[in-house]
Parts: sequence; structure tokens; C-alpha cells
Amino acid sequence: MTAVTTDVRPAPDAPVQPRTVATTSYKTPTILAVVSVLLAVLLLAQPHAGDARFALSSGADFFQIPVVVVPAMATAWVCVALMALLTAFAFLRARGKRRVPGWAAALFAVLGLVAFLAWAAAGSPRDLSVVGLISGAIALSIPIVYGALGGVIGERAGVVNIAIEGQLLAGAFTSALVGSITGSPWAGLLAAVVAGILVSLVLGVFAITYRVNQVIVGVVLNVLVIGLTSFLYSQLLVPNAETLNNTPRFERIGIPLLERIPIIGQALFNQTVVVYLMVVATFAVWYGLSRTRWGLRLRSVGEHPKAADTVGIKVEATRYRALIIAGGVAGIGGAFYTVVSIGQFGKEMTAGAGFIALAAVIFGKWDPVRAALAGLLFGFASNLQNILNVVGAPVPSQFMLMLPYLVTIFAVAGLVGKSRAPAASGEPYVKE
Amino acid sequence: MKRTTRFAALAGVAALALAACGQAPEDSGSEATGGAAESDFLPCIVSDAGGFDDKSFNQLSYEGLQAAAEGLGTDFKQVESQSESDYKGNVQSLVDQGCNTIVTVGFALSATTVESAKANPDVHYVIIDDAADADMDGKTDAENIKPLLYDTSQAAFLAGYLAAGYSADKSAKVGTFGGQPFPTVTIFMDGFKQGVDYYNQTKGTDVQVIGYEGGDKGSFTGGFEANETAKTTARNIIDQGVDVILPVGGPVYQSAIAAIQDSGRDVALVGVDADFYESDPSTQDYVLTSIEKRMDVSTEEAVTASGKGEFSAETYVGTLENGGVDIAPLHNFEDKVDPALMEEVDALKQQIVSGELEVTSYLAQ
Repeated sequence: MTAVTTDVRPAPDAPVQPRTVATTSYKTPTILAVVSVLLAVLLLAQPHAGDARFALSSGADFFQIPVVVVPAMATAWVCVALMALLTAFAFLRARGKRRVPGWAAALFAVLGLVAFLAWAAAGSPRDLSVVGLISGAIALSIPIVYGALGGVIGERAGVVNIAIEGQLLAGAFTSALVGSITGSPWAGLLAAVVAGILVSLVLGVFAITYRVNQVIVGVVLNVLVIGLTSFLYSQLLVPNAETLNNTPRFERIGIPLLERIPIIGQALFNQTVVVYLMVVATFAVWYGLSRTRWGLRLRSVGEHPKAADTVGIKVEATRYRALIIAGGVAGIGGAFYTVVSIGQFGKEMTAGAGFIALAAVIFGKWDPVRAALAGLLFGFASNLQNILNVVGAPVPSQFMLMLPYLVTIFAVAGLVGKSRAPAASGEPYVKE
Repeated sequence: MKRTTRFAALAGVAALALAACGQAPEDSGSEATGGAAESDFLPCIVSDAGGFDDKSFNQLSYEGLQAAAEGLGTDFKQVESQSESDYKGNVQSLVDQGCNTIVTVGFALSATTVESAKANPDVHYVIIDDAADADMDGKTDAENIKPLLYDTSQAAFLAGYLAAGYSADKSAKVGTFGGQPFPTVTIFMDGFKQGVDYYNQTKGTDVQVIGYEGGDKGSFTGGFEANETAKTTARNIIDQGVDVILPVGGPVYQSAIAAIQDSGRDVALVGVDADFYESDPSTQDYVLTSIEKRMDVSTEEAVTASGKGEFSAETYVGTLENGGVDIAPLHNFEDKVDPALMEEVDALKQQIVSGELEVTSYLAQ
């Protein structure tokens, strides 16, 4: 899988001769083979007669693609055959000691998905809305992506942030409250950022200044925020639902032209400002962490605080600054629940999204872009089960509800492989 | 210096921990002002994790108990559970405080109720939405438990028929989704589907139900929170072009309303448990009707009977006949629904009451 080029120190009079050391890895081809076989077994064991209907258009597109009706089993088998070809190709590449190209893996995933969807939607009179599949996946992943970005910043600076759930919930609560009072979703969004930062600061005071075990502080903070918001919700918001828990929501803003691209236009380019901000934030965090002086210092504090201290970087101050930014980012994710999604706060409405975000941090190998993609994967899996239920897939509901979590577990355990946390993550720094 | 730091840290942790514990409003306002207690009868109620402000069954049961206590002129006590781990301790604390009748809300408290009832044969228990029959022998496990059950499929049948009639000359599609595939949730969806099917049968139409296939196969959000998960579920159903949507499960209807607003389409909502038009005025523009489950009335009756020394452990099943379940008036949809359709619904109600028409559910004999 990896080809390493090493320069061998040449003899003084010999010409420079680079030598290539190649290793053979069958991991990727094996995974592809297993997936192909599993899918084939599914198709053999549970064949479904009938057609599958895919709806590819929404009303606002440039041109309308009619509903695509395909014979389900034939489509699925064609996809599986192509997947088998790709697997063979992957094995050949591996034998030739070369990497399996990214496009092959991506094509494989798409084919596998089409095969599965065709099988699941076979015989249903309903259209499987591809637009709905994509837009729902994005909607479900937004708080997870923001939470994961907050988590990445914190951990890169050496502070494990278990309190993402608490930051999301605090953000959701305050944005509902402030949004309702001021009548402006922007004020709600700002308040959510402040709330996220406040939770972060409490975490910081205990984890950085007083060196309490970070995991424990994080867990306690989650419980604290759940208790506090639930209490205030029943004492304050419920009796005054009209005035205090009824926030206006952000309007969708369509990007001209782009929003009318078929299939992806409505899902990607007709969204609220919080969604566009998510894309900006992901790349801003990536750029900040890997391309700026701030990011270098932050990472050095998370990897080797002592070394950072020796060259004059203030470890504790750097960690505090990182936590403040992380809390603000996670707070925006919390605001999504109220000022974008529902317009009112509900008890424990985040329902564990913060913990999924934590998984996305690890799945994404502490890299902001990958963590965001991990969040998207979870959102996609959640919405996939949802859409399949609507179409009437032949799988029990209880199993379907497990699907997103299964995907997360397998993704974290199986596909990530070796990942290394920042060396000083979770370690308080004690200056000698 | 070091010692003070350590002390401060310790104090901080203690404060955090205490604050975390302190938030649970366990007995907040437990001493209700019921005037001078005329008897030593003390009715009590414990909620499930949803809390008494859930605009749904906890709240209705609580209102029922409150009314009963007022009628009897006694005090009452309430305990709100924050999570499943609270149930046992909360019920025990009520026993310790000398409650004579304990109302436990929700099937989640079933095991706890049975256990406590067996240990305290002198205390009367009223359990909402569960038969308290863990050993599945067809009767309650202890003689001092009165189960209050609601055959909501009967009312849901009427709502389904009404929805089908409302949608028949539009897109001929109606939808439903639930919180989790529990029997108390699916009974709504099941009755609703039966109503739609009956409409198709009698009128020869083909109104489809999206989101429920029968049994426990259907669309579920996996929880009872009004969040994006519930909203996406609702949106996926609305995307199929439904005219009516029935969200079953506490506050998830709020997500459904947000999804309707975003879709920009004219989708009507069917409420559950309470008449949404009354219980949540923000829904008034959307509510076609509600499938009412009158837990307030039956809880009040059961507790009042117990207070008067007339407690019976006989299982109560709310039906259209005894008014335990019903469908709410149309309110704002009065002029959007054909009066002839409402007459048919009323006639169907009579047929169900008289037994002429049977709605199947796990509660129907």
C-alpha cells in the first residue's frame, strides 16, 4: 500500500541512485472482496422482484430528470459484477506493489450503495428521493461536524473535550432563549457561541488550571448542562413558551444558478447560513491548524508541551485560547437545533450527538477535514435508514435504527486503522 | 501554594458535582397547597423520563391526579424522574413518605411498579399505559395494581378514515412516523392505517399510507426528542407528497411542524394524546384533528375511587364507548373538510361503539 522512496547515501564516486522500497498490502482489496461477497450473498438469499424508482430532481432544477425506473435485481447484479471487477483490479494493483487509487474505492462505494438501494427499493411503489437522501444527510450531520471541529481543536491543544454534548445543548438552549427574546436568529447564534465558550471555560478552569482529570470534568459538565437546561426549560421556558421558547429561524439562502443544478443543487446550495458557515469553518480550522503560526503553536502544545514551553510558548494560555475557540464552534452546532431546525428548545434535544462528534474526532484521526467527513458519513447513514423506512425496505425498524451506530463502530474500529492521538492529549501540563 | 491549589481543585469538583446533583428538581413543589388535609389519604405520582411538562401523557396524568386531589380535598406528592435509573428510588421514596395511592406513568415503570406493589400490599398502584403483566399470564402481577390502558387504535381509525377522505381528492397519500417501535406508539399508527384501508375499501380509492407497513415496521426516529432527526424523518415523508402527517411520540410533532413550514406545502397534522389545538396553540394552523387519549379523566376517576375506599384492581381500557379515547373537533379545518365526510366519521364511531365494526389492536378483545 505504501511506497517509500529513500535516498541511500551513495559511495563518493558512484552516481546518485535512488532506490525504491515497496511493500505489498492486501488490506484494501480484501475489504472490497468481503463487501462484494456479502452483498452478493444478500442478493442471493433475499431476492426482490420488481422495479426500483429513483427520483433525481427537485422542482427548482434547470431541467427535470424524470423518475428513473430500473429493474431492481438486474441493476443490483450489474453493480455487484462491476464491484467484483474493481476488486480484481485492486488485487492486481496490490500484487504489483502499487496503491489502490482513490477513484477506485470511491466508485466501489457508489456502486455498492446503488446496488443496495436498488435491492431495498425493489417493488415499492414509492420513489426513492436521491435529493432527499443527500439534503437530509447534510442536515443530520451539521451539529456533529461542528462538535467534531470543536473536539479536534481541543484535542490538538492537549485538552480532551468530552463536554461537546454539553456545549451543543447549552448552545441550543441559549440560542432559543435569546433568539426568542430579541426576535433575531443572529442574536441567538451569537448567544450560542457565548454559551459554548462558557462551558469550555469551566472545562478549562478545571482541566488546565486545576489539572483535574479531563475526562471526568467533561462527563460531569455534560450532566451539569443537561440538568441545568432541563430545569430552566421546565421552570422558565414551558410556562412562557410563547415569549421565551419561540425563536425565528434562519431563512434558506439560495446561491443563484448553483442551486438549480440537478440532484445536488438544492441540497448543497440552497441552505441556511449556518450550513455555509460549516464549510467555511471546516476549511478555516484546517488552514489554521496546519498552515499558521497559531496552529503550529497549538499543535506543539498538544504534542510536547514541555518543548513548547522551553521555546517560550505559554502552554496554559495557548490551551485556554484553543478551548475558547473550540467552545464557540461547538456552540454554533448547538444553535443549529433551535435557530435553524425546529425553532424551539426541547429537553435533551441533542440526544447524544456530542458523543457521535467525539467518535468523529477519532474516526477523522484528529484532522478537521476528515472529522467533518466522518460527521457527514454518520448523517448519511442516519438518513439512509430513514429513507429506506419511508420507501418500505424489507428490514425490521429496530435493526434499521442501529444502522448509523453500526456504521460508526465499524468505521472507527475497522477502516481507520492505526491512528495516533496528539501525544499530550489529556495530560495537564505541570511546569517544573 | 500547592496545597491551596489542590484544595481549590477539590472544592471546585465538589461544587460541580453538587451542582450536577442539585439540578434534578426532584421534589420541587411537592407540597401542593390543597388546603387543610381532611383525610390521611395521600395520592402521589411519579413521571417517566419525559417529565410532567411533556405536553403529553405525563402531563395529562398529572392533571388528572391534581384534579382528584382537589376533589377529595387532600394533599398530593409528585416526583419527576430524570432518567430510567431514577424509577426505583422515586417509587420507593413515595412509599416511604406514606403515599396510599401511587400513580406510575408509562410502561417504562412497569417492572418497578410490580416490584414495589408486591413489597407493599397495602399501597394502591395505578399504572398508565401498561398491563403490569410481566409474566404474561393475562392478568396483573399484583392485586393492588390498577392498569389504565387506552385502545387508541379506535380513535386513530377514525382519524385515518378522516385523513384518507381529506387526501383522496388531493394526492391520495397520508403519512405517519413514530418515536420508537413500542406497542403504545404503533397502536396509533396501526389504527390510522386500518382507517385508511377501510376508506379505500368502501370508496374504492387507493390512498397510500407512507411510513407504516404494519407490525413494528415503519418510520421511527429512534427517540422522543423534537430534533433534526425527527424533522428529517418528517421531511422524507412529506417529500413523498403526503397531505396529512401523523407524528406519534411526545414532542416530535414540533419537528413535523417545522418540516411542514420548510416544505412550503399545505400539509395537515394529526395530533396525539391531547387536543393539540388546545394544548399547543402554535399548532392551530396545522392541526386537522387529534387522537385524544383522556388520561386526565381516567386517572382522576381511578384516584378518586381509591380515595373513597372503592379501589378496584380491574383493568381499565379506554375506548370510544367509555370516552377514554376520542378524536378532537376539527377547529380551523371545519370549512376544509366535507361535512358529509364528518357524518361518515360519526357514523363509524357509532359502529365501533356498538361493535358492528371491529378495529384490531393488542388491546381489543
